[in-house]
Amino acid sequence: MIRSTARKRLLTAVALVTGVTLMATGCSGAGGGEGEGTEGGGGRVLNVWAGSQTPIVANFNPFAPTVLHGALGPVYETLFVYNKAEASEPTPMLGESFEWNEDGTQLTVTLREGVTWNDGEEFTADDVVFSFTNEASKPTYLVSAEATDATTVVLTFDGPQYTNEFALLGASWMIPEHVWSGKSAEEMTTWTNEEPVGTGPYTVKTTSDAAYTLVANESYWQDGKPAVKEVRYLGIDANQSAEDLLKSGDLDWTGMFVPDPDGIAAAGGPAGYVNTPQDPTVLYTCANADLGCAGPQTDVAVRQALNLAIDRGTINDKAFVGLAATISPTYALLGRDDQWIAPDVEKESPQSADADAAAAVLEDAGYTRGADGIFEKDGQKVELTLTSVDGWTDYNDAAKLIEEQAKAAGIAVTASTVSWQEFSDSRQSGNYQLVMGGMIGTSVADPFQIYRDWFSGDYTQAVGTQLEPGEWNFSRYANPVVDEAVQAAAATNDESAKKAAYATIQTEITRDLPYIPLVINATQTFFNDTDYTGWPTEDDLYAFPPSWGSVSAGYVLGNLTPTE
Amino acid sequence: MADDIREQELARAAGPAVPLDEAAVDGLPADDDAPQPVESAIVEASAVGTAAPTATTARRGVRQLLPSLSAKLVVGMVITIGITLFAFVAPMFVQDPRYSGNEAFLPPSADHLLGTTKLGYDVFAQLAHGAKGSLMVGLIAAVIAIVLSLVFGILAGYLGGWSDDFLSLGTNVMLVIPGLPLMMVIAIYAPSRSLLLVAFILGITSWAGAAVILRSQARSLRGRDYVAAARVAGEKTGRIVLVEIMPNLLPLLAAQFLSAVILAILGEAGLSFIGLGPNGSITWGTMIMDSYGGNALSSGAWWWFVPPGLMIALFGCGLSLLNFAIDEIINPKLRNAPAAVKSVRRARRAGVDVTARADAVPAPAAAGAVTDQDRETVGA
Amino acid sequence: MKYYARRIAFYAFTLWATISLNFLIPRLMPGDPADIMLAKMARNGEVAPGVEKTIRLLLGADTDQSMWDQYVAYWGNILRGDLGVSVTKFPTPVTELIGAALPWSIGLLGLATIISFVLGVGIGAIVGWRRGTWVDHLIPASTLLQSLPYFWVALVLVYVMSVNNSWFPRIGGYDVFTFDGPELTWAFVGSVVYHGFLPALVVVISSFGGWLLGMRNMMVSTLSEDYVTTAEAKGLRTSRIFMTYAVRNAALPSIAGFGIALAFVVAGAIIMEQVFSYPGLGKLMITAVQGNDFALMQGLFLVITITVLVATFLMDVVYGFIDPRTRSNG
Repeated sequence: MIRSTARKRLLTAVALVTGVTLMATGCSGAGGGEGEGTEGGGGRVLNVWAGSQTPIVANFNPFAPTVLHGALGPVYETLFVYNKAEASEPTPMLGESFEWNEDGTQLTVTLREGVTWNDGEEFTADDVVFSFTNEASKPTYLVSAEATDATTVVLTFDGPQYTNEFALLGASWMIPEHVWSGKSAEEMTTWTNEEPVGTGPYTVKTTSDAAYTLVANESYWQDGKPAVKEVRYLGIDANQSAEDLLKSGDLDWTGMFVPDPDGIAAAGGPAGYVNTPQDPTVLYTCANADLGCAGPQTDVAVRQALNLAIDRGTINDKAFVGLAATISPTYALLGRDDQWIAPDVEKESPQSADADAAAAVLEDAGYTRGADGIFEKDGQKVELTLTSVDGWTDYNDAAKLIEEQAKAAGIAVTASTVSWQEFSDSRQSGNYQLVMGGMIGTSVADPFQIYRDWFSGDYTQAVGTQLEPGEWNFSRYANPVVDEAVQAAAATNDESAKKAAYATIQTEITRDLPYIPLVINATQTFFNDTDYTGWPTEDDLYAFPPSWGSVSAGYVLGNLTPTE
Repeated sequence: MADDIREQELARAAGPAVPLDEAAVDGLPADDDAPQPVESAIVEASAVGTAAPTATTARRGVRQLLPSLSAKLVVGMVITIGITLFAFVAPMFVQDPRYSGNEAFLPPSADHLLGTTKLGYDVFAQLAHGAKGSLMVGLIAAVIAIVLSLVFGILAGYLGGWSDDFLSLGTNVMLVIPGLPLMMVIAIYAPSRSLLLVAFILGITSWAGAAVILRSQARSLRGRDYVAAARVAGEKTGRIVLVEIMPNLLPLLAAQFLSAVILAILGEAGLSFIGLGPNGSITWGTMIMDSYGGNALSSGAWWWFVPPGLMIALFGCGLSLLNFAIDEIINPKLRNAPAAVKSVRRARRAGVDVTARADAVPAPAAAGAVTDQDRETVGA
Repeated sequence: MKYYARRIAFYAFTLWATISLNFLIPRLMPGDPADIMLAKMARNGEVAPGVEKTIRLLLGADTDQSMWDQYVAYWGNILRGDLGVSVTKFPTPVTELIGAALPWSIGLLGLATIISFVLGVGIGAIVGWRRGTWVDHLIPASTLLQSLPYFWVALVLVYVMSVNNSWFPRIGGYDVFTFDGPELTWAFVGSVVYHGFLPALVVVISSFGGWLLGMRNMMVSTLSEDYVTTAEAKGLRTSRIFMTYAVRNAALPSIAGFGIALAFVVAGAIIMEQVFSYPGLGKLMITAVQGNDFALMQGLFLVITITVLVATFLMDVVYGFIDPRTRSNG
């Protein structure tokens, strides 16, 4: 105990002085810190949120699972840029033109001249060959890659590979041989590559645990670009925080789910907004009893009835806040892929519930309504479990609504939430009845990849066996008609042949419904069009707008100009 | 910080917990030669004070065990019983909490007393069902915690020797392991969490604090004459613990039980908020989580977000006030001292001052002099 | 001396028990970390076979070794300071992540806990001293405060103060728009204080009620003691009775509890850090839990428990100093 009053007074004085000093610096630090530092030329720093959470770990290796968004697109580039938002021809980037041979087994690419890596070395055909043949990224179907001259590369495959055009030309990162050669496969995945050497419009300036900054690449092959000299990617942990930062004007570009998009501009945030719904949200059903699925959903009548009982309009309004788009049971993106939809299949999924039609379907298949209103057959009630991931509130809300709507039609659905790991396990192994999940929308204006990866019998396993990476047919659907049509479509680049094959596939899948379509999930992008121009807008969707779009993000960033 | 259950337990334990040899729990003065358990500073937290309380003549028997009626007690009881009734009766009279036919985000109105949620659920209905859910979790978790702390506390305190060392080792280990991280680690391994499982996890991670207190009490009671008499008479250990020791610790147990309930409810709210709460049930915690995930704040839907938090606080307040009243039974000083001060002040105002220090001559003992005896009977 | 020896033995045993628990839990759980990582990567597109092979090598469960061998190896790793590699922040080692977050937790939350303790005990002492007066009516208010779910308080505060009024910053430990990383300047320190204000406020609001109530009750008890009456009768100054006789004895249990509270600071107001995106250990824990990052979870759990043990042990030593009775009886 401090008995001496003198000492007590001294301590108080010291405490006061420290406190005052801290407050003073606090105020001055805060005051000075709120203003934006003006970096040299090109206006202030563009602030982006692409989904990174803190702590941010510096990793610009495109083959690492935890690579930062800034590496993909702004630093590293691909040969061409494909537009996910609209049907259009690919834009030449590092490649100038390409040509398939007769049967799709050879692809010849002509490269752009005069491109240099950001460390000064020249970009050559050897780099392209290395990018395709190194251990970490070599495709299984590639037989050889050859640089026939300084600006031409010929890729040879083991079969027709038209359908992998996007993967090869639009999604393969070009990496410099002089930096990466000699690394083992393990090193290529674990190397953090903190000063990446790429051809893109930006290079890495600094990384901290809360943000990383990219600065313009002075030797970029497009003259005068990028006009925005510095870009800062932030790490934010909760959507709510990101929304608040948007409203206060601290973010210039982000792609995230905001239930009230008009409120952002109203509160003083960026006014630019575009919603490009892209990814289907569906109910995976374990549909194939032959491969081990169990439960009432293995009967196609039950799936069809459920399809009719769901009120998609209400689900969109309440669970997705009206921001989702109408889905087509053909899984062709309405608007962008219209040309591929066969004329005599159902184009759009029913938007309102039709409990009577659902009941009719079940009764035709031999089900009778029990005393409690639930249908049953052979003593088995139509009782299904529906799981969705904890924390994905829009899916969880939709699941609750479906439970209600199905009950009205005589199907007992029990909705519950599970951890992400359990969700992943259940769909990988096939041990589920109904799961609410998403499909990955195609990156080109062609639904083929969905048909092959999600519906084809070659891309699935029996229940109990985990699917291999690259296999997405969680429903275990295996229909030889569909498989044949998929292979036929893969082997040709002829539009009418493809359309015929797609028509066959669509007839089958709209009848069998191994995935029950719900909505096309919204993809919202907010951007600051007051301080910057050149964004993709509703009128000019030249690229996929969100900040996490990888290749398209780099393309958009290169296109922006600050308004002065 | 309320997120760590044990830390809160100790903050409380440090306070109103009965000073070891102050125990007026069985009406007898504390044992002078009761051994002081010295195992840890935590246990020692209650070892303060040495004098035995003065015997009170006012209340005897069962009445002595019941708390005296004061404003705090009345308010506490009203709140607690009110909310409990709300939890079990109201769900019968409200709309189905999962009926989504209403419009979304409606502000409070005559139709919907607390408005609607993002999906159109009636918030008041959710609150009523949530009350039931939260109270169930609180109750079950508290029961589990109390039973465990009985075993590790009273049994250990009474038995002494090796069993005591062993059991209190377990207690102290559990005391030191941080609660919320342990709960998170356990919860994440469970594929789907029912209300029961969450209550179970909360219960098994929060008994240590109460066990410590009960143990020190049991140790002091062990030396009492009637316990020795029972032992000599040949009664079995179990019977002694249940019949002789535990009834004297009832007020203490009650206080710990009420603390455990509110801590369990807060714990469940915390777990729900980070997504590790019960799936499929409605509790106040899941309501807060839903409203946060449903962007209630940025949509201005305060009627969805504020009520569940306030209800938790209100219920906790009610239980704490009850606890206060119980503390006043356990520790008569808490009851007597404020009353004593009050009566002194009253006397001073009346012109009769018995505690004046500045005066060289003490005031004459007038007719209205306040004596020690009077002070006791003033009550609380 | 025997007192200290017993305490040390106890702590050593607890440490061993915790580490073993830490070792056992993930092995009881189903699922292969490599599969989880691959499933996550596959969401973004095709996973090249070379990458898949590497991931399996680095993260796959090694089922060849016996449990005992794994246990011994685990102990070896711990003693060498190797806590494994984080999956969500691959390939950063866990020790690096924890080392970066530790100062924030200890700094902000340690400070906030100290403030809360001083405030609570101080006000509790005054409320206890003034027992029987109107001040007693403050008690129900503080019980209400104490029962508020603190993360709920955090959200409401954030909403009121940062979003609607922009008085305080919304997220982060420091101003990311100005500073590229922690630096040793006064401006940075100022930014840290400014950003730490709201989180500290939440901690203080939600926990000082507990200290207050505990201290108040102890004060009331202590003031009824005979020695206090003697001191009053002897005519000592009120302030001396207050500080040297009453508070000094009444504060003992609170000090014991404070040691624990300070220790649990490291466990951190987990949820509160999530709300404020504050870069402490709590947020790291949530990241680990949500990302199924078992290595990081285990590492955090270990670090937290060890810190708690160390702090508790220190408090025991300090308590042995302050309260001679424990030493003489031990």
